[in-house]
Amino acid sequence: MWTFALARLAGILLAGLCLGLLVGPIWVWLLVAACLYLGWQLLNLHRLDRWLRLRSQMAPPNLGGIWADIVAQVVRLHRRKSYHKQRLVQLYRELRRSTAALPDGVIILSTQHEIVWFNRQAARLLGLKRPIDVGLRVDNLLRSPEFVRYLHGDDFSVPLAISAPMQTELYLALQVVPYGAGQSLLLVRDVTRQMRLEAMRKDFVANASHELRTPLTVISGYLDTLADDTSIDVAWAGPIRDMRAQAQRMNTIIADLLELSRLESTDGEAVREPIDVPAMLQRLQRDALARSQRPRQILLELESEDGLYGSMQELESAFTNLLVNGIKYTAAEGSVRMRWWTDDEGAYFAVIDTGIGIPAEHIPRLTERFYRVDAGRSRERGGSGLGLAIVKHALQLHGGWLEVQSVEGKGSTFICHFPPQRIFQTAERAAASA
Amino acid sequence: METSDLTHHISRRFNEDLEKVRNQVLQMGGFVEQQLHKAITALVEGDSQLGESVATDDYKVNGMEVSIDEECSRILALRAPAAGDLRVIVAIIKTITDLERIGDEGEKIGYIASRLATMERPADKYREVKHLGRQVAEMVHDALDAFARMDSLAALKTAKQDKIVDEEYESIHRQCITFMMEDPRTIRRALEIMWIVRSLERIGDHAKNICEYVIYMVHGKDIRHTSLEDVALQIDAAHAASRR
Repeated sequence: MWTFALARLAGILLAGLCLGLLVGPIWVWLLVAACLYLGWQLLNLHRLDRWLRLRSQMAPPNLGGIWADIVAQVVRLHRRKSYHKQRLVQLYRELRRSTAALPDGVIILSTQHEIVWFNRQAARLLGLKRPIDVGLRVDNLLRSPEFVRYLHGDDFSVPLAISAPMQTELYLALQVVPYGAGQSLLLVRDVTRQMRLEAMRKDFVANASHELRTPLTVISGYLDTLADDTSIDVAWAGPIRDMRAQAQRMNTIIADLLELSRLESTDGEAVREPIDVPAMLQRLQRDALARSQRPRQILLELESEDGLYGSMQELESAFTNLLVNGIKYTAAEGSVRMRWWTDDEGAYFAVIDTGIGIPAEHIPRLTERFYRVDAGRSRERGGSGLGLAIVKHALQLHGGWLEVQSVEGKGSTFICHFPPQRIFQTAERAAASA
Repeated sequence: METSDLTHHISRRFNEDLEKVRNQVLQMGGFVEQQLHKAITALVEGDSQLGESVATDDYKVNGMEVSIDEECSRILALRAPAAGDLRVIVAIIKTITDLERIGDEGEKIGYIASRLATMERPADKYREVKHLGRQVAEMVHDALDAFARMDSLAALKTAKQDKIVDEEYESIHRQCITFMMEDPRTIRRALEIMWIVRSLERIGDHAKNICEYVIYMVHGKDIRHTSLEDVALQIDAAHAASRR
């Protein structure tokens, strides 16, 4: 088409040349032809310009030559652009609408924790107001000290559960999800139902265990009397012995259940009474050595004189549970080793046995209630199935956690990790006694 | 004056300082709110341990007041703020005093609640006191929200709640007197309850004061000791003017 435009220019100039040759001075006619061409182009340019300015109100102009093409291109470009724009707007609206309709609250926070945007559910759960709250710092409005600590901390792996501001019967789980360069999403979820169910479950377990205890006491009492009664047929001696053993087992289970529900209902942190761990472990070792059925060796390695700040009762029950477990699953010719040491990152208590070990796939689920690696085998060893759950909860109350390593057939290692803040230093102890 | 104005301040550092101290005030407010909530829960549920923990935690509120006070003096000395910024500082200094007093009243309630927990509880389980406590807690919450949002209308609305709190205080008062006349054995408990509702009523007054500082901070009008109806008219006029 450019060749066509060039041809047109050449044609006009040629016509001017011919006219000049026929009727007058060539240069005048050439000039006239060039001016005509220029004028026509200028007219087209003017019409194009006017159309571009008032595009929304005017139909595209009907221009000649190269200009028609340009107009067509502009129209096409414009159409494509408005199509994309429309699609983007639609997509954006849809996105907003879907986030607004989310059952969970969503708040977008800037780097300074200022509210950039929030959806309807977040407004409802947290009492935010639009548009006045946009640009405010979120911790100015959500002032609960726990939340502020969570927001300014750096551990967002677990959501924080708090009661909603001014609606105390409503429980919310808040979670910060960082993204981009410092921005974050704050997700708000109503967990009232879960919290209530959880509370109900805990109450149920505690109440049921308590209710079972009384009848069981009566049964064991009579069984004890029957066992000593010489007037009963000797054939009953075996069954009565079994019944006593089972009643004893049920007692243990109920005691463990009560202990567990007590641990669960304790909020926050354990008390901080100073505990002399080495002395406690020596006592545990003595008790273990007094057992009739035990592995040949029960060793104690004390590599630190330090103790812990915590609750005596809970730590002793946790350590005992681990030690008894080790003894139970280790054959008479094996050994069970207790180890206590500290370093800069915390304090550690380990029970290392050379027992039957635990298959790897069971390790993550060991601390679940009543979880058994091998139902038949562990029942005959007479556990309640709650020991490790108790250990886990007791450690949690002290800010610690349980690590389990095991090789099947070779033995297992259970390590309790305690944070350094819990360490009770011997130096302090010396100073305290002085 | 809105917060967005605050962010367009000439000196960015100054602006950040102001925002920081405002945030500290609201953090203190959040802690005081929690203390109040715990104190009321301790009373209603007869949880003596919780009540004691409220009483022993009051020193934290005092600590916050002192540090915010120092920060304000520092800003005043270093930046010599004027107009709106000065009003913010003045309002903050006054607000923290009232917050600290709310904390003190909360401490008192917590202490009495822990004592009451050992006594026999009335049949209605302190329903009226609980209701009043809720109302007062809501007032404190709304006052702090108004402070955070610089929302004078909300502040005015919250300040008006004080009247309802006063009425409720009066009615519990009467009720306690009736109980005491009916059965002298309840006198001890009723007297303790009267201390608690007295504290709650005082907290309502402090919340009202905070609302007044918010209005002062936003409009530059000191509305203490004026009737709320007059204030409402003035604020409406100011809003109409700013809209024009």
